Amino acid sequence: MLANIEKNILLFLLISVGLITLPHIYHIPASIFGFFALLLTWRFIGIWKPSCLPGKFLLFLLTVGGLVLLYSQHQGLFGRDAGTRLFMTALALKLLEIRQERDLYLIVFLAFIVATSQFLYEQSIAMAGYILFVCCVLLGTLVAINSRRQNTLNALKTAAVILAQALPLAIVLFIFFPRVEAPRWMLFEDKSRAKTGLSDSMEPGSISDLGFSDELVFRVRFQGQIPPNRLRYWRGPVFSVTDGKRWTAAKRYTYTTAAEPDFREPAYRYTLLLEPQNNNWVFALEMAGDYPPQLRMNSEYLLTRSGNPDKRAEYPITSYPSYRTGALEAHKLRINTQLPGPASQKTTSLVNQLGGFDTRHEQFIDHVLQHFNRENFSYTLTPPLMEDNPIESFLFETRSGFCSHYAAAFTYLMRAANIPARVVTGYHGGVLNPVGNFLEIRQADAHAWTEVWLENRGWVRVDPTAAVAPERIEQNVNIEQQIASRNISFFSADSELARQLDWLKQARQLWSSLDYNWQRWVINYHSANQTQFLASLGIESLKQMLFWLIGLGALFTAVLSWLLFSRKVKTADKILHHYRRFCARLAKAGLKRNAGEGPVDFAARSKKAYADHAAEIDEITDLFIKLRYQKESSQEDLSRMAEKVKRLKIGR
Amino acid sequence: MNTLSIKDRFRLSRFFAGEKPSDEAIPLNQRRIFILPSKRGLSFVVLILLLLLIAFVYNNNLAYFLTFLLASVFFIGILHSYKALAGLTVQKGQCKPVFAGERAVFEIHIDNPIPVPRLSLEIDLHDTTQLTLAPYEKKAVRLYAPTGRRGHQPCGTITLSSGYPLGLFRAWSPMRFNLSVLVYPKPWPQEIPFPETGGGSSDQGKTEKGTDDFYGIQEYQRGDSIKRIHWKAYAKGQGLFSKQYSGEQGDELWLSYETCAGYGNEERLSRLCRWVLDAEKAGLRYGLKLPGQKIGLGIGPSHRARCLEALALF
Repeated sequence: MLANIEKNILLFLLISVGLITLPHIYHIPASIFGFFALLLTWRFIGIWKPSCLPGKFLLFLLTVGGLVLLYSQHQGLFGRDAGTRLFMTALALKLLEIRQERDLYLIVFLAFIVATSQFLYEQSIAMAGYILFVCCVLLGTLVAINSRRQNTLNALKTAAVILAQALPLAIVLFIFFPRVEAPRWMLFEDKSRAKTGLSDSMEPGSISDLGFSDELVFRVRFQGQIPPNRLRYWRGPVFSVTDGKRWTAAKRYTYTTAAEPDFREPAYRYTLLLEPQNNNWVFALEMAGDYPPQLRMNSEYLLTRSGNPDKRAEYPITSYPSYRTGALEAHKLRINTQLPGPASQKTTSLVNQLGGFDTRHEQFIDHVLQHFNRENFSYTLTPPLMEDNPIESFLFETRSGFCSHYAAAFTYLMRAANIPARVVTGYHGGVLNPVGNFLEIRQADAHAWTEVWLENRGWVRVDPTAAVAPERIEQNVNIEQQIASRNISFFSADSELARQLDWLKQARQLWSSLDYNWQRWVINYHSANQTQFLASLGIESLKQMLFWLIGLGALFTAVLSWLLFSRKVKTADKILHHYRRFCARLAKAGLKRNAGEGPVDFAARSKKAYADHAAEIDEITDLFIKLRYQKESSQEDLSRMAEKVKRLKIGR
Repeated sequence: MNTLSIKDRFRLSRFFAGEKPSDEAIPLNQRRIFILPSKRGLSFVVLILLLLLIAFVYNNNLAYFLTFLLASVFFIGILHSYKALAGLTVQKGQCKPVFAGERAVFEIHIDNPIPVPRLSLEIDLHDTTQLTLAPYEKKAVRLYAPTGRRGHQPCGTITLSSGYPLGLFRAWSPMRFNLSVLVYPKPWPQEIPFPETGGGSSDQGKTEKGTDDFYGIQEYQRGDSIKRIHWKAYAKGQGLFSKQYSGEQGDELWLSYETCAGYGNEERLSRLCRWVLDAEKAGLRYGLKLPGQKIGLGIGPSHRARCLEALALF
């Protein structure tokens, strides 16, 4: 069946196919991955025992089996998951049907598609490196197919060289290829495309490493003035119920509506462009006053939308940062002062010490914030785990955490003083894109703050994180960026452990800086970023982009051609060129070199005819033979030969 | 190398048939090498477009990057394809005459003057020959072609091609040499009795030479049998002489087109060809008479070749 396809090529191909699909073990159902693994193993065995490969009928049955398996997943044909499954099943079936070289190509092409699909699941540096490596192996397979008798290791080397040569051109394309957002009809209704985003509960103690992604959540384009950063709180789900660890929304009141607050000018009018989401929350600037009728506001002032959150959507909204909410109903008061149990002695004494029981509420709030600010509290994205009683651990022991820890602890302290308080999550800040003149809010801008209900003022926003890391609130500095540039340190410098782990810390910081830049420059190099980046280089129109693309592409191609066809080929040509000139001179004098006549014979004949030039003829011929047939030929000999030929003057 | 006029440069035949036949070695350079994507290359383009679509729909930058990387690999594949052939020189070699219906063997010499191996070259004439050249290697390649009619049959266009390294492009260089094979008539398949010698003797007159008695020596003439060369004289440096014997007249044979039986021209030539071969095998001295052409008596490979050539070109 496979007489003309060598074993080692097959082995090479199967290994690369195995490597390319391996990471999908996390993404596709076990049944399909099992099906794939079974067929791949079968094919592996088939290398040594071709007789055990399936015949046409069995292959037909397997195809039907694969289709049934796909159908049983109810995923349709389009979209990320369905597509990946489809291509993997096709790849598996094609593996069992290798008859010609053409089939090998089809398998390699399918494998490239599967490789691309990996990026739809994971975009880390490690994954990119891995896929690059496997692509090199796949190209190596193609080289091996096309170079009979060459060993596969050499083929791999050739493929690596080709990939390395293609890299600069690929980077130019990457930078200058215009990015355009896909039109909406092209976005498949694909549940798995759901983004990670805010969750419907908050559990600060259980997260020890907050992975912020740079993924875009929404964009806001303001008509007129853009509010300052300290007012840019984009309201998300509100949590008022807690069991001491976990904070959740009060389900009963999620669907009721609240009385509209009193709004005061200034008003901000803007258009909110939501990217596909997990939930139907619409993150409006606090506090939304006018919004389109398809949005609803619940009793916690959160805007929600009906319909599919997987789709991008656009809403014109008007918000008023100054507002006053009305009285608090009895049941809401109860919920917002609810505690899982009586506060501990320690907590009660802290509340007492800060004046929770005897001063005005506003003053107590100030005291708590000052407490956070003056005591040794720090802001970190990688807090220690606090499994039991996270709030007390945070308040009295670890004293480091991110916004959720502060919001939870603050709310807890308020409630311990019998002040109604709740946690609000959402996003804060957003980066102004100067080109498009809109704000971009990314997952990394996720934030948690608190609301405290005060007499005469209603719900008032208090952000305890601001007391600890004001830079986050006031300047909207990306915390991750700061970590990357070492502006925020997690450890106190004089700790013995810290000193010992210094190199580890540095490596970690280096990695996080690398990862940040990867996120920023590679993963998120979308249309707005591209426009911004190219504008900083002075490239502003599409026409200029194309000029640069073509210009740099041509430049790299020229450099590469020069590298590929430098001296080696040219020297060989030159030797021949000089010898031809020599022959032409003699022919002009009347002695023509016969077809197939060797240089030695020709030299003998010409020496006879032109005895007075014998020495020169000999020398040129010797040089020619030396240059052409000896492995090591020097540039010097070549120029000497050129010189001799030039000087040779044979009269008629 | 001479330059091409603009008009010649854009002639389509350069793509398929190559430039005009050459006697000299042909170095493969940018003028000679043509590159187009192969079928696989075209499907690779479709793959790239598909990946681009995936990257576009999912707005995924790494997918974009992989797409661009493969597109760049495809693009620089053009340079690598060129490199697979560039610098080789091809020269024509020998070509021995054959009988019609036999395979003609054209020999060409391919020279790799650079320290890079050339993998998976293909040479097309009638069939495809696969070839690998080591660094600095020079190889003689025999190409086979079927022969049809007698006469000179030109070698035609030899195409050297390669799909190395990725098989996405095919680089090829068509070339023609002043190389042709002489095709003898096809020998008549059955043995046929020799004609009477009478026709020949009347023209030539009886001679006293034969194999029985040594008659004398005379200067070697083309066509004399090697067996009769006076080796002793040659060894003494006196030159080449043939020994002559008397009584050879019985073995003299005149092969004449006029007296040959057969329908039509080709059949007669075919019979004559058979006679030439048989006479040579039998060690007879023979001559050939064609209308307007006569080859005197003789024996030996070169005489045979002369006779066959005359038949081939008649």
